[in-house]
Amino acid sequence: MADKTFIVKIKRQQRPDEAVRWEEFELRWRPHMNVIICLRDIAERPFTREGKESSAVSYEANCLEEVCGACAMVINGKPRQACTALVDDLEKPIRLEPLTKFPLIRDLQVDRSKMFDDLKRTKCWIPIDGTYDIGPGPRMAPEKQEEAYPLSRCITCGNCLEICPKVNADDQFVGAAIVSQVRLFNMHPTGAMHSAARLDALMGPGGIEDCDNAQNCVKICPKGIPLTESLASVNGQVLRHAIKSFFTAPKTIGSAAPEG
Amino acid sequence: MAVAASNSRTSYILDKLQSLSGIVPIGAFLAEHIWSNSYALVSPAKYNDVSSELQQVPWRIFVETAVLWLPLLFHSLYGFYIWWKGKSNITAHPWMSNWMYTLQRWTGLIAFVFIAWHLYTQRYEGHGVTSYADVQQFLTNPWNLTFYIIGLLAASFHLGNGVWNFACKWGIAVSVRSQRAFGLLGAAVGVSFALAGIAIVIGLHYGAFPLGGYVTGGGQ
Repeated sequence: MADKTFIVKIKRQQRPDEAVRWEEFELRWRPHMNVIICLRDIAERPFTREGKESSAVSYEANCLEEVCGACAMVINGKPRQACTALVDDLEKPIRLEPLTKFPLIRDLQVDRSKMFDDLKRTKCWIPIDGTYDIGPGPRMAPEKQEEAYPLSRCITCGNCLEICPKVNADDQFVGAAIVSQVRLFNMHPTGAMHSAARLDALMGPGGIEDCDNAQNCVKICPKGIPLTESLASVNGQVLRHAIKSFFTAPKTIGSAAPEG
Repeated sequence: MAVAASNSRTSYILDKLQSLSGIVPIGAFLAEHIWSNSYALVSPAKYNDVSSELQQVPWRIFVETAVLWLPLLFHSLYGFYIWWKGKSNITAHPWMSNWMYTLQRWTGLIAFVFIAWHLYTQRYEGHGVTSYADVQQFLTNPWNLTFYIIGLLAASFHLGNGVWNFACKWGIAVSVRSQRAFGLLGAAVGVSFALAGIAIVIGLHYGAFPLGGYVTGGGQ
């Protein structure tokens, strides 16, 4: 009996300036396959459906368990992680395309540095290490930890940027992932010491104000992060910070009260 | 690039003003406008009383400019710029909120064209002194009536969805539940403004006074 097979169609480009070509590969079906296995099968035997010799498809992947974010691509028209896209659940032929909102490197591989640069620009970290021991931070109530946990699941995959009408060449909106990280780090008692700097960064061009509430981000997020709540929350924080910093002047020293 | 320094707050302030101007003064004026025009469903005499009172507002040209024309022009033109910066993807991802995003832009354009024509015919050609008879005469034309209904539907949707959008963008409705509640409030605003507006123009078209009965005490 002949093996069961299925078709994978891949949008390929050697270089960003090269013309797009679609290649079709016929792969042998095995149980529990995901899209990453398909790409490995192609690398093992890089021949198209017509028998023409091709090359291994370029893509990024690390953890293979949806925590690193690297294997984000457009699968059957929806941005998602290739590692959790199971062949049995996907409509055939399976269409694979690179994310469109990031600079293309090759085939399915894109340069997602914009997000990491924006995380740095918005100071999305908690300052704990210095040249000396700054001592233990304040304790965090368990309820606060539970509120923060869903936000900490962000894997910076970029699917929420891919799906957002306001992230494109004409609008440098930072995207829901970064705004949600600002909320997470402002929520933390030590992180809150930098909240004003984070909110300032989101007040500039490409900041929170570019969100126009299409609310696609929350529907596509593979980690189920309440992104629309984060956007509204940070919108309020930035607004209160803007009003406060316009009207008031400091009156105490040493207060690390969180903004907003 | 040199102008748009990364710490510039200009775009933030302009965007916030664009959002605010849709509620106050424009949304508030639409509420007032539908309210005072509802007197067309009471009686021509009452309608003429109310409109002549509005037409005799002190500092009229300055008030109109500051409260209506400049905010409308800013809200529309800056709104078109925001529209241009976004790239709708409704065909690939036809979710309801994505539809709202796209419809918000198109209804804004329809409302803009309608308001421009409405101001030209009623304010400019009518010299701002129109009476019940003038408006009724104008709305006898079925094409004018149709365009009024389209304009009212677009403006009502745009305001209703705008109420929801405003609540999210100003951090008033943060939780998913409160955003849903504001969505319902926006829908109620949109539907009631559309129904009231359409009732007014159809009443004018047919010269009917369904709300006149209890004022005159007999409905004659």
